[in-house]
Amino acid sequence: MGFLHHTFSEVYARRNNWLTEVDVRVKLLYIVLLLAINLLTKNIFIPLFFLSVSFSLLLTVKIPFTAILRSMLLPLSFAVFILLIRGLHEGEKVWLSLSIVGYKLVLKEEGLWNGLQTCSKVLGGISLVILLSFTTTISQLCAGLKWFRVPNTIIDLLALIYRYIFLFLDEVDTMWTAQRTRLGYTSWKKTIKSFGILGGMLVIRAFARAEQTYEAMHARGYEGGGILTATLPPWRKKEYVFVIGIVFVLSFLIYTRHVRVW
Amino acid sequence: MSRAVTVFAIIFFLLFISSENAVYAMHITEGILPPKWVITWFAVAMPFVGIGIYHVKRKKRQMPVYLPLVGTLGAAVFVFSCFPIPVIALNGMATSHPCGTGMSAVLLGPFVSVLVAAIALLIQALFLAHGGLTTLGGNIFSMGILGSFSGYFAFKIAQRCRLSLFWCGFLAGMVSDLFTYLGTSIELGLLVIGKGGSFIKATAEIFGVFMMTSQGVLCIVEGIVVGFILVFVYKRKPGILLHLGLIKDDTKPVQI
Repeated sequence: MGFLHHTFSEVYARRNNWLTEVDVRVKLLYIVLLLAINLLTKNIFIPLFFLSVSFSLLLTVKIPFTAILRSMLLPLSFAVFILLIRGLHEGEKVWLSLSIVGYKLVLKEEGLWNGLQTCSKVLGGISLVILLSFTTTISQLCAGLKWFRVPNTIIDLLALIYRYIFLFLDEVDTMWTAQRTRLGYTSWKKTIKSFGILGGMLVIRAFARAEQTYEAMHARGYEGGGILTATLPPWRKKEYVFVIGIVFVLSFLIYTRHVRVW
Repeated sequence: MSRAVTVFAIIFFLLFISSENAVYAMHITEGILPPKWVITWFAVAMPFVGIGIYHVKRKKRQMPVYLPLVGTLGAAVFVFSCFPIPVIALNGMATSHPCGTGMSAVLLGPFVSVLVAAIALLIQALFLAHGGLTTLGGNIFSMGILGSFSGYFAFKIAQRCRLSLFWCGFLAGMVSDLFTYLGTSIELGLLVIGKGGSFIKATAEIFGVFMMTSQGVLCIVEGIVVGFILVFVYKRKPGILLHLGLIKDDTKPVQI
């Protein structure tokens, strides 16, 4: 579970660079609109353009290439899965027919082309999401969502859940190490039983922690309203320029029929 | 085609082994769903999330500790869903991870569990690149709605049948996992409609691939782990289960 702790620790988002300094509202607006373009486009070059630009931007702020690649690996494997499913199922025209240990596989041209489009969309979309997550902290994100009128309950729970994930990851790690030193994972049967105890302890600790948290919140004046009080500053000229920029890009793409919204 | 599916299952399996030694197959990744399905799944998911918010707000008014409780239990379920469970068929060469929705549905109720799942999926999409933002609606449908409601009803039916606490937890964990994969398979199967493919055939094949790889075993393993968790909590702190409404009286012994 070590890699999870590293992923959640916001090491890259907490750095000071020009991408982390961009207003979170602008980032959210850009990502949502670019994701919509990525989804609506029939052209494989636009998603691949998003991929290359996102990669380049992340590399300019010195995010390690391996960290980006590690985040992309799973979506990529899912994309290949879809490519093969569509290649096997869709269309008539045979592109490749091969036999693997007596099993015949027939890949069709139309299916593969559709699959390729999906693959490019997966890569483009994921790269945009990674761009947001590597440059935005959870507190910035919550403040941004609050500005966009997302219900307080969602934002409060998002902040609470995210905050306690760290704590429980640490606690689980300690308990897991203790169980391992007492040979709790030597056989598959013992492993499952140890996981049961670990999960049970997690529930008990979560319950105890909820009581403590509420007492602390109450002591600091919590009366049932929103728990986040941070507000964002008013928009500056820079933010307006960014927003006008994306509106122009979107209009251009719709006008040139690269993005079809109807 | 069944032979092709077998070969395909092997390819799929190898692909996932290569990815971080972990299997995260229940999330539909960013960019997979076309716009009409993105809108449809968001439209399906949002009312459930809305009711979840309503439930939290209502209970928060009655019991102010409820909000931090949902937050900490949500985080606990999230961490539980990151447990690297070894795939027995491969002698531990690869690991998979549980869904956790069955457990959260049993502990928090189905609607609040949908809300918690939605937030967990948002965190996973943003910080782990598992799932996505445009596929959030679809993932909430499969993992949140189907997973939570199936797990909750399995638990309640098992309780009505007077099964022991372990078996109630086992059924909740297993059924919620199965329904989550079924939901994902349905969502992916729907993509072949109008493209020369059969929805039922594609859904059955995708579900078959999920079950043939590590996920079939995982459903059973998650069931056992959830069963053990409930029994452990009952033995150590029965008051928690009473507080959450899983048992009616902590002075009378419950069959475990």
